[in-house]
Amino acid sequence: MKKFLKYMSPFAPDQSGACSVFYELGGLIVICDAGGCAGNICGFDEPRWFDKKSAIFSAGLRDMDAVMGRDDKLIEKLSYAYEQLGGNFALIVSTPVPAVIATDLKSLERMCTKKLGIPCIAIDSTGTNLYDKGEEKAWFRLFETFASETFEVEKGKTGIIGATPLETGFTDSKILKKYLSDCGLHNTVIYSMGTDLDEVKKASSCEKNIAVSVSGVKAAEYLKERFGTPYEIAYPFIPDKIMSTVPYEKDCRILIIQSQLRANELRKKIGRPNTDCATWFTFKNEYALENDAALKGEDDLTSLISDRNYDVIIADSDAEKLCRDAGFSGTFIDFPEFAVSGRISDLL
Amino acid sequence: MQKAFYKTAKEIVETGFDALPSELVSSKHLIYSSPATLSFNSPGAKGYGVKRAGLAVPGSVMLLVSPGCCGRNTSLFKSSPEYKDKFFFQLLDDTDIVTGRHLMKITDAVREMLDFLEKRPSAVMICITCVDALLGTDMERICKKVTEETSIPCVACYMYALTREKRLSPMAYVRTSVYTLLEKQKRENKDMNILGFFSPISSSSEIFDLLHDSGIKNIRELARCSSFEEYKELSKANFNLVLNPEARHAALDMQKRLGIPFIEMLRLYQPDKIHNQYMLLKDAIGVDFDDSVLYENTVKCISDFREKHGKLRFAVGEILNADAIELALMLVKEGFEVKSVFATIGELNYSFLKALAKLSPDTKIYSNLSPTMLNYEPDDIDCYIGSDCLYYFNDKPGIEWCEDVEPFGYDAVCTLFNRLDAVLDPKTN
Repeated sequence: MKKFLKYMSPFAPDQSGACSVFYELGGLIVICDAGGCAGNICGFDEPRWFDKKSAIFSAGLRDMDAVMGRDDKLIEKLSYAYEQLGGNFALIVSTPVPAVIATDLKSLERMCTKKLGIPCIAIDSTGTNLYDKGEEKAWFRLFETFASETFEVEKGKTGIIGATPLETGFTDSKILKKYLSDCGLHNTVIYSMGTDLDEVKKASSCEKNIAVSVSGVKAAEYLKERFGTPYEIAYPFIPDKIMSTVPYEKDCRILIIQSQLRANELRKKIGRPNTDCATWFTFKNEYALENDAALKGEDDLTSLISDRNYDVIIADSDAEKLCRDAGFSGTFIDFPEFAVSGRISDLL
Repeated sequence: MQKAFYKTAKEIVETGFDALPSELVSSKHLIYSSPATLSFNSPGAKGYGVKRAGLAVPGSVMLLVSPGCCGRNTSLFKSSPEYKDKFFFQLLDDTDIVTGRHLMKITDAVREMLDFLEKRPSAVMICITCVDALLGTDMERICKKVTEETSIPCVACYMYALTREKRLSPMAYVRTSVYTLLEKQKRENKDMNILGFFSPISSSSEIFDLLHDSGIKNIRELARCSSFEEYKELSKANFNLVLNPEARHAALDMQKRLGIPFIEMLRLYQPDKIHNQYMLLKDAIGVDFDDSVLYENTVKCISDFREKHGKLRFAVGEILNADAIELALMLVKEGFEVKSVFATIGELNYSFLKALAKLSPDTKIYSNLSPTMLNYEPDDIDCYIGSDCLYYFNDKPGIEWCEDVEPFGYDAVCTLFNRLDAVLDPKTN
């Protein structure tokens, strides 16, 4: 049965992705929900939340708010919080409730901007999509809203788009910087990780950008069109430890299940033929090789395993039982994927 | 930037319950999301939310029918052995929500679950969320249909965060749901149930001895039922003892359906009030017991602690197995100072607040949920109690006091002070 999970738990949703992009940027973030979504986003999908404070709130919607469509009440509450706390901008993140009652998010943006006098962005996440969809919208709106001024290009300066903890499993930008440094990139701006909104505003000063996730490509494309900044697609954060776990046999058939760019980079590092990539998340044909696959549900993985007879699977261990029950008897290598299991392992 | 909002106990009582400041009324402001509010926003992230609570029926499994986001944090406990093969997810997409077609697939999902499971479950708890609340889904009817087609009992569980402040909140509703599979049978004179929690009352609580000594033979709790057969025996009870107001609706339902009357008690920490409650219980069920030794021991336990550690200054949070204000009141009555309380003020604990205001007018009352808590700077205290306080005072000694086993009675008070002693005693540390 499609969209039915027997082995896995649901993956990080789009609303978590949207919050992840804006978490460190100093705005007021309002999750337009009754509370449960905020609990899931912060308590499960945002590892920075336990150590790094952010002005992140639940709208605290109640049934009559939803039935009556009391948008004005939300703006009133937001305005009250702004009076108390200030903030660079306001972000309203939609969830299933506003999606079902068809809340006019554009109108909310306008009302909020008018009332608070600061930029307001509303992301139309629905809770039915996955984190990278929410991130894609958020990255695009972030740069579209704030990267409007043209600055002089700084030679060697590289912007990194897409490196949220949900994507990389890293919560500390210093570790990411180290990986970039190892690749010869010493002057980098990792957007939304250890950087503030001013860096976003100065995005045009980058000589080039690197989109490290599929969700960052649309924003990178925007910056290319807006300022002529070229961009590359790469994922420079593959932990060395994972490489030491891959078996030596040259002709073994390997399946990597990770987000697409991460899986591609790992395949490149492994450097063997017969290595396929699959992902639970966004799958773009332009980044795929012949036998790569999009997994829309557990049944897709079962079919893939029975069709391709793999010797090694590299994936989050949440999928191991599913793989075994699908007939896989080879070596399973655990490579945690935060958006799947919410785990950060010592591999990272 | 405004400092964290608070009012003193005296200030709140002077203005009255009907005129609480906006910052202390959750519906009047945005809800700040910090680790101290996680249990408010997402009760299941720690302790019991609807999903985990729904599985209190022994041998049951759960089908969550919702957008993916609602089941996201299930990974937290899905990996523990007791929840292995317990959770299944039917994920909704946009078309499902618009057309309601997901409701037609629930029977297929349940069939697939039954095929997958090695052992037939006792029941399938079908959990729906805010989306179906807004769609007006009649899940009772769907459960009936699934039961007819699969011969497995199905029970609806409502994880409707939208209705959390209604008289019948999701947690009160699920407390009712988990008893709906009970069938009427002959009641036994010497049997009773304790209702209120999803985890068992601490075995060391005196309540068991007091009741056994007064002639009660079987004291049952849902959390102690290890099989569906044991669960079914809950309907033999002569009466239910309700220890948490959230279980009142369940008790009323059992009274109506199964003819089991109920008595209510509160979990209190003031020794004199615990004694009063036991006396009322004794009269209500027509038995005799003497708790005077227990009372004296408890008073001595507190007095020994006070003598050893002095007049400590406490912060009391609300994520704990107690009512924050009642616990603060007990501490003040016993000679300690309470600098700050993090609490949601309701009708029930307002009466405790009035008493607290008389004895400790300057105690600061904060709401974890206020946006201004972003700027909270810790008060000067010696010790904290409460999981939320751990977030604010992680450099101070204290206890979370929110384990899965539920403390109750004099035993709870003594255990609390013993635990505090353990963290404050330099020898132990």
